[in-house]
Amino acid sequence: MSNETAEREVILSVRHVSISFDTGHKKKFVAVKDANFDIYKGETFALVGESGSGKTTLGRAILRINPCSEGEIIFEGKRISGNISREEDRNVVRNIQMIFQDPAASLNERATIEYCVSEGLYNFHLYESEADRIAKVDKALQDVGLLPEHKSRYPHEFSGGQRQRVGIARAMIMNPKFIVADEPISALDVSIRAQVLNLMNKLKAEKNLTYLFIAHDLSVVRFIADRIAVIHLGEIVEIADSETLFQVPLHPYTISLLSSVPMPDPIVERTRKHIDYDPSKLDQSGAKRELREIRPGHFVFATDSEFEGYEEKLRSMEQEAK
Amino acid sequence: MEEKILENKSDLFEFASFDKNESEHIAAPQYSYWKSVWRTFIKNKFTVAIAILLLILILFTLIQPMISGYDPLIAPNVNDPEMRFLKPSAEHIFGTDNVGNEVFDVVWAGARNSIIISFVCTFITMVIGVTVGAIWGFSKKMDKWMIEVYNIVSNVPFLLLAMILSYVLGAGMGTLIFVMCVTEWVFVAFFIRTQVMIIRDREYNLASKCLGTSTWTMIKNNILPYLISVIMTYVARMIPSLISYEVFLSYMGLGLGVTKASLGRMISIYTSYMNGYPHLFWIPVTVLAVLSVSLYIVGQRLADAADPRTHM
Repeated sequence: MSNETAEREVILSVRHVSISFDTGHKKKFVAVKDANFDIYKGETFALVGESGSGKTTLGRAILRINPCSEGEIIFEGKRISGNISREEDRNVVRNIQMIFQDPAASLNERATIEYCVSEGLYNFHLYESEADRIAKVDKALQDVGLLPEHKSRYPHEFSGGQRQRVGIARAMIMNPKFIVADEPISALDVSIRAQVLNLMNKLKAEKNLTYLFIAHDLSVVRFIADRIAVIHLGEIVEIADSETLFQVPLHPYTISLLSSVPMPDPIVERTRKHIDYDPSKLDQSGAKRELREIRPGHFVFATDSEFEGYEEKLRSMEQEAK
Repeated sequence: MEEKILENKSDLFEFASFDKNESEHIAAPQYSYWKSVWRTFIKNKFTVAIAILLLILILFTLIQPMISGYDPLIAPNVNDPEMRFLKPSAEHIFGTDNVGNEVFDVVWAGARNSIIISFVCTFITMVIGVTVGAIWGFSKKMDKWMIEVYNIVSNVPFLLLAMILSYVLGAGMGTLIFVMCVTEWVFVAFFIRTQVMIIRDREYNLASKCLGTSTWTMIKNNILPYLISVIMTYVARMIPSLISYEVFLSYMGLGLGVTKASLGRMISIYTSYMNGYPHLFWIPVTVLAVLSVSLYIVGQRLADAADPRTHM
C-alpha cells in the first residue's frame, strides 16, 4: 500500500467476508465470497456490479441486516459482525445509516413525514424536548431542500425525488459517520438524479461523511466515487481509484463492464464496441485466485499466471503513456 | 421581425412573480385517516340507512328488556289458557307463546344476550388474536411451536369441545363466552401472522430496523396501521357469525341455560309449534336474520372505508 493511502484513517474494513443463504437444500447459496476491502474516512467508495452480484447483500451485511457466515466487518476498530452486545449494536445503528433504493417502498405510507424523519430520534431519544425534536426535523428537512410545511404530509403526496430527500433526511438526522447508499438514484427519474447526487455530495462535505455507494451505473459512479470496487458473482474482481479504473482496467470483467457504458456522443457511440466477458479465457489451471495489489491502491483478482499477464499489459501501457 | 412582435406585445403581458415557497402552501389539503374513513363510510345512502337501522335495533334490544323486565323463570300467565298462543295484534305485538309470555319481550331479551355474547367474544378473541398474531408473525422461534398449536387446535372438532366444556363447566353466559373464545383466537392469530409475514420484510420495515426501531414499535406503527382494514373485515364477519354460533349452540342445548333468554333456545322450543303457530318460529328467526345481515353489511362497508385506497 502506498504511503499516501496508508496515512489515511480506515473507517470500515471488510475482512474475508462471505455471506451465504440457506436454500433449503444441502447446498448453500453463496452471495458474497471472501470480500476484502478498506474504506477510508471521508471518501466515497463505490461498489459496482450487475444484478445479483451480491453488492446489496454486502451493503446490508454492514448494517447487520444480513449476517456474515465467515469473516468480519470492522468499524472504527471494533468488530460489528456476528454476535455483539446490544449497546454495540445500537452504536452501529447510530453511526451507520442507509439510503434505500426505492423511496416509495422505503417510507411508511401510513406515517407522516414528521414521524418518518423523527423515527431515529425517538428510538435513541436524541432530543431534549418536543420543541427541540421539531426544530431538528425542520432543520433536517431544510438541509435536504424540503420545507418544514411538509412535515404533516404523507409520503404519497410527494414526488419520487422529494421522497428520496425524505429518506436522506431521516438518515442524516442521526448524524451518522458512515452511510451505505444502496442505488439511491436508480429508482428516480433521470431529470432529478443529478439533484440527489449533488445533495449527497453537499451533505458529505458539510457533515464529513463517508459513503459506500452501491450502484450498477458506471457513469454515475465515475461522477461521485473516489475509489471503485467491481464485484462479479460475489467476488470482488478489481479495486482502484476511479480514474485509474477507467483508464487502465485490468480484469476482463471490468473491461467488459466499462465497454458497456453508453457515451452521450453520437460519433463516439457509433464506434463504441461492446467487449463480452468470457470467463473461459481466464486461467483454467485451477490455481487459486486472490485479490493482489498490482500498483499502489490498485487490486486485481487473479491467479499467479494471470497476474503476470496483467503486469505485462500494465507495463506496456505505462510505457506507451510516456 | 420577431423582435418587433415581442416589442409590441410586451405591454400586453406582464411577468408574474414566482415564489417557490408559496407554491407549497396551496398543495393537497391535510389528510386525516379516520376523517377519510368516516367520509367514505357516510357517502353511501344505503349504508347509512342500514347503520341507522342497526343502531336502533341494538339500542332497542338493550333498553326494551329493562322496561319489560322479562325473566324466563317467571311466566305470570302460565295458568291462564286464554293467554296462550295469541296471534299478533295491537295488544300483543308479536302474540304470545306456549306459556302465555309476550313473544315481543322474549325476542328482545334473547337478542340482547346474543348481541352481548357475540360482541364480548369478538372483542376478546380479537385482542388476544391480534396481539399473539403480530408477535407470532415476527418471531421465527415462536412460529415453530405456535404452528403446531394451530395444527392441533384446528383439528379438534369444535362441537365436541363445546359439548365437553359446557358439561364440565355447566351451562351459562360465562361458559358460552369461554367456549367460543377458547379456540377462536388461534384462528385470528394465524390469520394475522400470515398478514404480518407478508408485510414484515417490506423495505420500509427494513428502513425502520436500520433506524433502530424496536419490534414492538414496528408492530404498532408500521404493521398494524396497514392491517386495520383486514382486521375490520374480520370483525365484520365475526360478529354475525358468533351470533349464529350462539343460536346454534343454544339450539343444541349447549348454550345458555334455562335462566337466560336466548334466541337459539327460543327457536328450538318454538319449532315444535311450527304447524299450528308458525309466527312463533318466524319472528325470532327474522330478528336474527335482520340483526346479522345488517351487522355484516355495516361491518363490511366500514372495512371498505378503512382501506385508504378508497379515500380518493
